[in-house]
Amino acid sequence: MDEHDLLRSARFRREREADWRRLEELVGEAEKHGVGRMGFEAARDLAALYRQATTSLAIAREITLDKGLLDYLEALTARAYLSVYAPQERIGGLVTRFFRESGPQAMRRSAWFIVAGFLSLGLGALVGYLLYFENAAWYHVFMPPDLAQGRGPGASTEYLRSIIYDSDPDSSGLGAFATFLFSHNTRIAIFVFGLGAFLCAPAILLTFYNGLIFGAFVALHVDRGLGIDIGGWLSVHGVTELSAICIACGGGIQLGMAVLFPGQNSRVVALRKAGRDAVKLAIVAAIMLVVAALLEGFLRQLIQDPLTRYTVGWGVGALWLAWFALAGRRST
Amino acid sequence: MIFRRKPRVDRPDPNQVLPPEGVPLRLEIAGLGGRLAAQITDVLITGVAAIAIIILLAALDMTSPDTLNALAALLFFVIRIPYYALSELAWNGQTLGKRLMKIKVVSHDGGSLQTHAVVLRNLMKEAEVFLPGTLLVTLDETTPITSSIALAWVLGVLAVPLFNRYRRRLGDLMAGTHVIQLPVPVFLKDQAQAGQLSAKDNSEFGFLAHQLDHYGALELQTLETLLRASERRDLSPSAYKAQKKTVETIVDKIRNKISYADPVKAEDSVRFLRAFYNAQRAHLEQRQLFGDRRADKFHSQTED
Repeated sequence: MDEHDLLRSARFRREREADWRRLEELVGEAEKHGVGRMGFEAARDLAALYRQATTSLAIAREITLDKGLLDYLEALTARAYLSVYAPQERIGGLVTRFFRESGPQAMRRSAWFIVAGFLSLGLGALVGYLLYFENAAWYHVFMPPDLAQGRGPGASTEYLRSIIYDSDPDSSGLGAFATFLFSHNTRIAIFVFGLGAFLCAPAILLTFYNGLIFGAFVALHVDRGLGIDIGGWLSVHGVTELSAICIACGGGIQLGMAVLFPGQNSRVVALRKAGRDAVKLAIVAAIMLVVAALLEGFLRQLIQDPLTRYTVGWGVGALWLAWFALAGRRST
Repeated sequence: MIFRRKPRVDRPDPNQVLPPEGVPLRLEIAGLGGRLAAQITDVLITGVAAIAIIILLAALDMTSPDTLNALAALLFFVIRIPYYALSELAWNGQTLGKRLMKIKVVSHDGGSLQTHAVVLRNLMKEAEVFLPGTLLVTLDETTPITSSIALAWVLGVLAVPLFNRYRRRLGDLMAGTHVIQLPVPVFLKDQAQAGQLSAKDNSEFGFLAHQLDHYGALELQTLETLLRASERRDLSPSAYKAQKKTVETIVDKIRNKISYADPVKAEDSVRFLRAFYNAQRAHLEQRQLFGDRRADKFHSQTED
């Protein structure tokens, strides 16, 4: 059939068919092996042909009524779009960048939210502490029984001391307790972060409640004259772990503030913008929780001297602070 | 009705994504069933991985049963949280389950998928679904209040996708993403070319301009589907007969509608339809070029 007898749209299609088939091939390759592994020419063709195909699609929508072609082009361009605009970063590079720059930068940007997180935990601890001295029965109100592990106002001072200075963790199931505490705290951290989006209140309340537990727990030991010892016991991992919860809370508050005070944006957009830093805070908190679990699992049993415990705990805390404060600053 | 909301006309079609090139692309929102299936697959994969490690630890006999229990709870966390984020990063918005179900996470604004968006939507999944879910499973009747709060929470969160047009859950809303069905490009023959009409056919079935004014794009494209079906050679005898009958009925209908006087022989029906398709498409495409889009056969009635 002669070229001029064809419909305009059929000619349009015949002229570009080969390019589309080539694009289809390239998209298949990109989806299978990733754009990163494609050769220079293939990658260049993929991008160029994708842009051509979008133009073809825009024209085809105007000039042709061939449904088969329209559906094909729609699907092909969409697939190509997904390949061309795939994230090109390597996971290794992302991790390095997070530790060197974006993590600490996000921490500095949201310093005030984190302060608010620490405040809610601190106030909770203060209230818990004071309430315990008012009436020791409050202890049972705050403390979940499986977290207390028999440590309560009814327990003897000797027993409490034995838990703090226990050199043989396996016999008392302290290993299990440590991992339990870790998953408890991880759970709290995730909740505190995730619930923050609901107008801050759940995040602050949950952190406050955690503070209550903490305060009552400390008060119990101070009451028995074990104040310095429990401080050491808690310092080893607590500095890291409680900070992690406060940071997660800070992330949650940041999300909640975006919902409460979206400014010029719509709430969804404000939430999305706040999410950028908040999610980094959550990752920092997760890393800290893992480190805290390691400290808790190993160092706490290895080190029995209270002074060393203080040094290690707060030393690690200082390292965290140094990372947040110093890393990723642009030299001027 | 008082409570009926005014239909908002300016809202974009949820099945479209606008890439930086400015040509809206059709990427259909994934169905909730498919997403659920993908999620269940992923839960099974991570669960099996965690259980395998636990069995390995138990076989090695390194820890006490108590510790093993706690370790199990820990492992589920440690495997699950990075699994989703890392697999979606590595496979451009697809976990293994999503690959299986051919669905994918895309950025809502048409740009490329950002790392923090992927991490955020998967962290939120933890807070939204998994934690209350595990609470629900582990709690018993001794704590009715916590259980019912967890249940209400899970139900509420699962209902969120039903109330927005993009079927986004909370994590998607916060991360600015939504989940789409991967389209499959199928290259079909052009029906205007496929018949390879000879000049003889065109002169044999001639159509006048007023005869082509009856139908619109919808009818044309339905005819295209029919012609495509009539090319199939793998039909059973009864299906073939039924199809032949359909074709003949349609020829009669078209002839009536456009008042085509000449009779069409039964063996010529497909050729007639093909010629009509060509002529009709040429006519409609030309009208469209001049700004006269005809969606269907009612085009002349809606104009005034």
